[in-house]
Amino acid sequence: MSILLDGLVQGLQLALLSVGVVFVYGLGGVLNLAHGQVAVSGGLVAALLMQNRLPPVLACVAGILFAGLVALLLDQTLLRQAYARRGEERLLLGIILTLGLSFALDGFFTWRYPNVALTLQLGSPYVRMGGLTVRTGSLAVAALALTAFLLLLGFLKTTFLGKAVRCIIQNEVGAWLCGVNVHRARTLTVVLSGLLAGVAAVAQGFFSYLGPEMGTEFTILALIVAVVGGVRSLTGTFLASLMLGLVNAALSYTVGTYITWIVLLAVAASTLLIRPEGLLAYWP
Amino acid sequence: MNGRRLLSHAVPVLGTGMALAVVPLFLGGSPYGLRITSLMLILAIYAVAFNLLFGHTRQLFLCVGALAGLGAYASVILVRDLRLSPFLATALATVGVGLVGGILSYVGVRRGLGVLFVGIITVAVSLIFHNLLLGLRQYTNGETGISTRGLGFGLGETPERAYYVLLAVLVLSLGGYQLLMRSRYGLAFRALEDDELNAELSGIDVTRYKVGTAILASALIGLTGALYADVNGFISPAVFALGHVDIPVLIALLLGGMGTTLGPVVGAVGFTLVDELVRPFGQLTVLTYGILLIVLFLIFREGMVPLGIQLFLKLGRALSGRVPREAEGAAEGSVGGSESTQRG
Amino acid sequence: MLEVRNLWAGYNGITVLRDITLEVPGRSATAVLGPNGAGKTTLFRAIAGLVRPQRGRVVFEGSPIHGLPPHEIARRGLVYVPAERELFPQLTVLENLELGAYSSPGDLRSRLRRVFDLFPRLAERRGQRAGTLSGGEQQMLAIARALMGRPRLILLDEPSTGLAPRLVAELYRQLAALQEEGVTILLAEQQVRAALGLCERVYVLRDGRMVFQGSASELWGRPELRRAYLGELRRVEPVGEARDGR
Repeated sequence: MSILLDGLVQGLQLALLSVGVVFVYGLGGVLNLAHGQVAVSGGLVAALLMQNRLPPVLACVAGILFAGLVALLLDQTLLRQAYARRGEERLLLGIILTLGLSFALDGFFTWRYPNVALTLQLGSPYVRMGGLTVRTGSLAVAALALTAFLLLLGFLKTTFLGKAVRCIIQNEVGAWLCGVNVHRARTLTVVLSGLLAGVAAVAQGFFSYLGPEMGTEFTILALIVAVVGGVRSLTGTFLASLMLGLVNAALSYTVGTYITWIVLLAVAASTLLIRPEGLLAYWP
Repeated sequence: MNGRRLLSHAVPVLGTGMALAVVPLFLGGSPYGLRITSLMLILAIYAVAFNLLFGHTRQLFLCVGALAGLGAYASVILVRDLRLSPFLATALATVGVGLVGGILSYVGVRRGLGVLFVGIITVAVSLIFHNLLLGLRQYTNGETGISTRGLGFGLGETPERAYYVLLAVLVLSLGGYQLLMRSRYGLAFRALEDDELNAELSGIDVTRYKVGTAILASALIGLTGALYADVNGFISPAVFALGHVDIPVLIALLLGGMGTTLGPVVGAVGFTLVDELVRPFGQLTVLTYGILLIVLFLIFREGMVPLGIQLFLKLGRALSGRVPREAEGAAEGSVGGSESTQRG
Repeated sequence: MLEVRNLWAGYNGITVLRDITLEVPGRSATAVLGPNGAGKTTLFRAIAGLVRPQRGRVVFEGSPIHGLPPHEIARRGLVYVPAERELFPQLTVLENLELGAYSSPGDLRSRLRRVFDLFPRLAERRGQRAGTLSGGEQQMLAIARALMGRPRLILLDEPSTGLAPRLVAELYRQLAALQEEGVTILLAEQQVRAALGLCERVYVLRDGRMVFQGSASELWGRPELRRAYLGELRRVEPVGEARDGR
């Protein structure tokens, strides 16, 4: 039972990452392969600040903001090159540039900060709730993620800019014609995706630890979820995160890491073959 | 094809072959030097195959490492466990990998998958393969890998022979590439690059050319993987990972020029030089790969071979007031590809 | 109200439009006619800011708009309704309409009411997802969405595409009503009849060049002109008059 709970919470963390990927792809037409590294950058900053005696809460907030900053820089420099092209050119350029960046950042992190890791604790490691022993780390992550998502949802549903974001994902030209400044909305969502990635990194600190080498794993997981949920569907991706979080937790516990990875990857590949727009996209 | 054209097409390939053949003389028999240059040749062969796949038929097969690994592990396990002769094992592995590549391509074409989708699926395949290698430890020894001494042709013990065997494979591949480009395949390639739908409507069986190319290229990759296992004396999941094979191949082709004959070779040489320079600094190699990828794709996308040809032509015109025959021939030698250098 | 002077435009270095000049007076309805591939859509996209002109000027209400980004042009009251409609398929009719008012918020209710008066069928379907509407309804939604921005000039690219003849007549009646309310209309059509019924001025494009400009009556009153520029062999009867269909 606690495995299922853990799985759901892991799913929430996955959602933080994959929703960011969907944002960037939906608004910019770019698949950000450096997303995991953006998250790691935030986590590393938080860890470094904590090493310098900064209280954990402040350090984490700073880390999250830093991740958003990195995303902003990414948007204004590399992604700008991709935005200038259209269609397949844009896609290809975006992929290769972000791939290169992911390598560059990975190499930089592991070379410069090989021993820095972010770990967070909330009092005692376990707590009893309603007859179950729950890890406080999971509780913290759940609280963090749910808050972030509630804020996000509020933004998307109520503000005009939020509505603009949703409609750009569906039709960029239509949005322009309605008077939406797509460039500005795009930059904003890239920053949002960065902030969410930062929260995911902090969450990882609560789960176990966040190390400089984890960027690639984050990116791959985020992509798997985004593909299964639908790279253009926010709700689909959210649902897919929860689902795959459960699957991940259940499988890892029973058959081990390698097979879990194989299953997840196979699900992603099959989705692309069977229903490329995403298994859970646009269902209700 | 008359004699003169045949000669001019063969010149770049033979010239390169000869240039590379004398390299060991400069190395003074140093095993390290021979090892590095052998790996360079292997990278070049991978690049020739990937050039066919992505450079000419827009199939973004980001699973070169996995295919090579499949060839390597298959041939090693066939010799070790089934006691097949190295020749038979290698041949079977080559054919097998060729088929796998063909299947991947067929599925992609049948489902009408675009470049992005094929890329993602092949990355997934690479990762699945990597995890399979790690998971099936009773066969593969997992992370630790397998020592291949005594399981192959023994190329690992004779570095110089290994080098020349690889060089022969490379030259033959380049020759094969040239032949392909001048055959109906070459025509089909040009049509495909221009507009796949139009090509289909003009009666070109897109499926056949794409899948056929995939089979050939994958078989080549599989063969090279098997040879690598022999030359290196050791295989493990790590050496066939994306970052270890596919990324260097991408960089090499960007450096050398996609869609050209000599691009893979020039790129492999360039990459190896840079890699050796950065190697002492440890993790910085990864950083360098990343930066190279970005810079190359943004600024330098044509690659050195097309630029070199343009330079060569300009020089020729400047020197003699007209385009010299040799330059014309050399340009034609790679013209099959250099027209198609505006690639996304 | 809208002036296009010596406009050259195209894509990726290929020139589609050559030296186009046209004028659209305020409160009028103007038609751009021509066969497929003549460049009508390119012209509209260049005016709306989706395509950057290679040469020439576009002036709207006295201010130059060539080179401005599309959202800026939309905010100034020049709204484009493309042939592909470009709706938001997952959003409801109502949400699509609300987004039409994105650039000029305020008094949403009265605008919605006006639009629903014009297109009662949309009112019926207001909670339905735009992607599930029929072709004709999508066309109406596209126009309605454009109207939500309170445009002073509306650019319609082949509005009658995919509509049954009866619906085309209804559409043009509504466009006439719009014009009376003071909205200037510039439309592109392949279907000559309907357009000539509504519009006073006509421009004909062929192969990227302007080959005719004049009044609608001039064009339909002279069969040799019609034949030369539009390839029509029968007498064209404008839809605007009280004649039904055929």
